[in-house]
Amino acid sequence: VNNPPVADPLRLYDACPVSDGAAALVLCPLDMARKANKPPILIAGFGQATDTHTLQEREDPTDLKAVRLAAQQAFDMAKLKPGDIHVAELHDAFTILEIAESEHVGFFEKGEGGKAVAEGKTAFGGQIPINVSGGLKARGHPVGATGVAQVAEIVWQLRHELPQERQVQNAANGLTVNFGGFGNNVVAFVLRRVEQ
Amino acid sequence: MKEIELIAYKCKQCGKVHYPFHDRCLECKGREFEPIKPQGNAKLLTFTQIFNLPWGFDERFLIIGVAEFENGVKAMGQIKADSIDGLKLGMTLKPSWEPVRKQYGENVFGLKFTP
Repeated sequence: VNNPPVADPLRLYDACPVSDGAAALVLCPLDMARKANKPPILIAGFGQATDTHTLQEREDPTDLKAVRLAAQQAFDMAKLKPGDIHVAELHDAFTILEIAESEHVGFFEKGEGGKAVAEGKTAFGGQIPINVSGGLKARGHPVGATGVAQVAEIVWQLRHELPQERQVQNAANGLTVNFGGFGNNVVAFVLRRVEQ
Repeated sequence: MKEIELIAYKCKQCGKVHYPFHDRCLECKGREFEPIKPQGNAKLLTFTQIFNLPWGFDERFLIIGVAEFENGVKAMGQIKADSIDGLKLGMTLKPSWEPVRKQYGENVFGLKFTP
């Protein structure tokens, strides 16, 4: 396969394709959502954080501070811990980002994310399935629609509406992390299934 | 040898060094800064080799890195090396101010580092 280097150590197929695309969500009060014939999915937690624009100003270039802070805010608001999450959509514009984010949101210790992927812990059926949708790498990255598409995917997962081959069994809590620039602006949502 | 035309900004309140300029100190929110020049050699903090270059570069690839000068100024620059094989984090680099690309036929100067 012709997979030329782009920026060491990343190669062409480590990068997602920037693409066209659209996604939509319907937001309403919980009592209205309860009247629909589908289980309501609650925005249980939300977090947003920023980091410096230039890489050289960060204390540690391997620390995605905005991911850490945004996820922490979302978990605190939802009163949940990373271990309570059943399925996650992380912003894998590049393969390394899914790994780094899986550590910074608290699924794995720093330096353990790559091993977790190799051991299948983040695969469908693993300890914490990440990007069962295929993520940005497979879906494409329609920049403005990407974050909404992530939330839509988790809503389908929590409603148990997906085909069997990618439906995480009994998923009740989900996480999304959307990422702008080089982690300059990060938004995280913790979503929870509300039983009718 | 051309002087390095890079100006960093040291917070007058807490001493944190910023490059580029910020209206407020990232550490203490102070508003007053002393302009300072980078001094001495630089220590390599991180690097990569880029193969997809934007318009204005004639090279097949560039090696770029972030390095910290002896007075705490951190900046990104091109590393003058044929490959990344000999580069190590923490190694000492010699900084210089040289043409880094062409724009409308004119040289644009910037930071380069020699291992």
